Amino acid sequence: MATAELSKSAAQARKHWDRKWIPYVLLAPALITIFVIILSPLVTTIAYSFSNIDLIRDRTTFIGLDNYIELFSSRLFWKALEVNLKFAAIVVTVPTLIGLCFALLLVENFIGRSIGRTLLILPWALPWIVVGLLWNWLVNAQFGALNGLLYTLGLIDKYIPFMADEDLALVFTALASAWRQTSFSAILLLAALQTIPEDLYDAAKVDGAGMRARFRFITFAWLRPTLTIVLLYNVVLGFLQFDAVWIMTQGGPGDATMLISVLLYRYTFINFDLGMGAAVSNVLGLITMGVGLIFVRLIYRSQGTYA
Amino acid sequence: MSYSYGKYWHIIIRSLATYIAFFCLLFWVGFPVYYMLITSFMSAPELGAKPPNWIPKQPTIANYQEVVMGETAVRGEHRSHGEFSRMMPALLNSTIVSVLVVFLNLIIGGMAAYAFSRFDFRLARIAYLGVLMTRVLPALSLIVPLFIILRKLALINTIWALVLTYTIFILPLTIWILREYFDTLARDIEEMALIDGATRWQAFRMVVAPLAVPGLIAVGVMSFMEAWSEFFFALTLTNSLTYPPLLMSYRNLAQVNWNGLAAATTIGVIPPVTVAFVFQRYLVRGLSEGAVKG
Repeated sequence: MATAELSKSAAQARKHWDRKWIPYVLLAPALITIFVIILSPLVTTIAYSFSNIDLIRDRTTFIGLDNYIELFSSRLFWKALEVNLKFAAIVVTVPTLIGLCFALLLVENFIGRSIGRTLLILPWALPWIVVGLLWNWLVNAQFGALNGLLYTLGLIDKYIPFMADEDLALVFTALASAWRQTSFSAILLLAALQTIPEDLYDAAKVDGAGMRARFRFITFAWLRPTLTIVLLYNVVLGFLQFDAVWIMTQGGPGDATMLISVLLYRYTFINFDLGMGAAVSNVLGLITMGVGLIFVRLIYRSQGTYA
Repeated sequence: MSYSYGKYWHIIIRSLATYIAFFCLLFWVGFPVYYMLITSFMSAPELGAKPPNWIPKQPTIANYQEVVMGETAVRGEHRSHGEFSRMMPALLNSTIVSVLVVFLNLIIGGMAAYAFSRFDFRLARIAYLGVLMTRVLPALSLIVPLFIILRKLALINTIWALVLTYTIFILPLTIWILREYFDTLARDIEEMALIDGATRWQAFRMVVAPLAVPGLIAVGVMSFMEAWSEFFFALTLTNSLTYPPLLMSYRNLAQVNWNGLAAATTIGVIPPVTVAFVFQRYLVRGLSEGAVKG
C-alpha cells in the first residue's frame, strides 16, 4: 500500500515537473532565435531611423525626426508612393479577378480539369526571381515572346521595345507579379469552393433561385472570407514586392517602376544612407500594416455576418 | 420539346465557355514557361529568327551542357566566358540550404507548436502575431541590423547565414499551422496514453506525430519552396552562394546569353516544381491553412 502511494505521488510530482519546465524548453529555441534574428533587428531599424549613421567615421548621432522630414519633403518618396499605388492596384485586382475565374472554372466537372489544377500550381512553384526573368524575357525588345506572338499574328511589323515606355514598364512589372499571385489566389479560392456543400445549391434550386441568385447568395457568400484573405495577401504583395521588379527593371526606366521597396534598396545599398533606409522601411512597414489591418478588420466583420 | 431544345443549347454554350476559359488558363500559365523552355533548346542564331520558331527547328542540348559543365562545353561567339561555372555549386548549396531549413524548421517549429498546443499556454497569440508580423514586415528593412548580427557570429558569406535566417523567418508560419494540427489531433488518445503510463515523448512519438504527418509534410514542402526561392538575403548576406541571386548576376551581364540563361533557369526550377507537383495536395492544404483565418 505504502509503495503504491509513494509511486503515485512520484508520478504526480513528475507530471508537475512536466507542466512547469517542458513547455519552456520546447519553446526556447524558437523564441530565442526569433528574438535575435527578427525582433532585435526590428528594434534596431526603428532606432536607426532616428539617427544619422556615418559609416566612414563609424559614428551614429541621434537626429530625431530629421530623416522622416527629409523623406516626406523629397520628390522621390512621393513619386515612389505614386508608382507603388498604381503597381498595387494592378497586383490586387488582376490576381483576384483572374484567380476567381480560374477557381470557378476548375471546380466545374470537365475533361482536363486535373491537368488544369496541376498546371495552376506551376507559377506559384517558381521563385519570384524566375518569374521576373520569364516576364522580362516575354517583353524583350529583340527576342521577346510577346513581340514574336504579335508579329506572327501580323498585328505588328516591327518589334516594340515595351520596357522603354514608362507606363508599359510599370504595367508589365505589375503583371509579372500578378501572374504568380493569380495562381496563389486561385488555389486558395478553389480550396474554399470545394468545401461548399452541394445540397445548398439543390435547396436553392428547389426554392427557385436562378443562377445569378445562387452565385450571389451561395458561392459569393461562402467565398467572402477567403476572398478577403486573398485581397489581404495581394495588397501586402503590392507593397512588399521587390525581387521580380528588381530583376526586370531595377526601378527604371527613369523612376517609372521605383516601388517604395526599390527606393529602400537605393537608400541602403547604393547611397549607403542607413538612417534614411531605415526611415523608408518603417514607413513601408506602417503602410503595409495599416492596409493589412483594414483588411483583417474586414475579415472579422465578414465572419461576424456570415459565420 | 422547346424545353429540351433550350437545354441542349445551354449545355453546348456552357461547355464551349468552359473550354475557352480552360484554354485561357493554359495560355496564361503555359506561354511564359513554354517560351523559356524552347529558348533553352535553341541555338543563339535560331533565337534571332523573325517570326520566332515556336517549335525549335534544330533543337540542341548544348545550352544545358554549357550550364552543367561550366565553361568547357561549348565554344564560339560571345559564349564560354565561364559564366556558368558557379551554377552547379550554387544548385548544390541551394539543395543543402533548403533541406537543412526543412528539418530545422520542422524540429524547432514542431517543438514550439506542441508546447503551445498542449500546455495550456496563453502565449499562442504571440505565434499568431508573429505570423502576421513576418508577413507584413519588409524583409529588406531588417537587412542592415541582421547583417551586423551575422557578421558578429562570423556567418557572413556562409550557407549558415541563410539556413539560420530562412528557418527563423518561416518559423512563425510553421508554428501557426502545426499548432492547429496538434490542437485538433488526438488529444483524447494522447491523454489516454499518458494515463496508461506513457511518457510525453512516447505519447508524442507514437500518437501525435503519426497523425500529424500531413501537416508536417505541408509545412516541410512550404519551407522547402521558400528556402529554394529566396533571393534578397542570399544576395546581401552571401556572395550569391545560392541559385536565385546567381541568376540575377547572369541577367546583369553586358552580353546576356539568353539561351544559356534559359537552360540554367529551367534546371534550377526542376526541384521546386517537382516538389510542388508531387505534394500538390499537402501544399494546397498547407496554403489554405497558413492563410491565417483571423
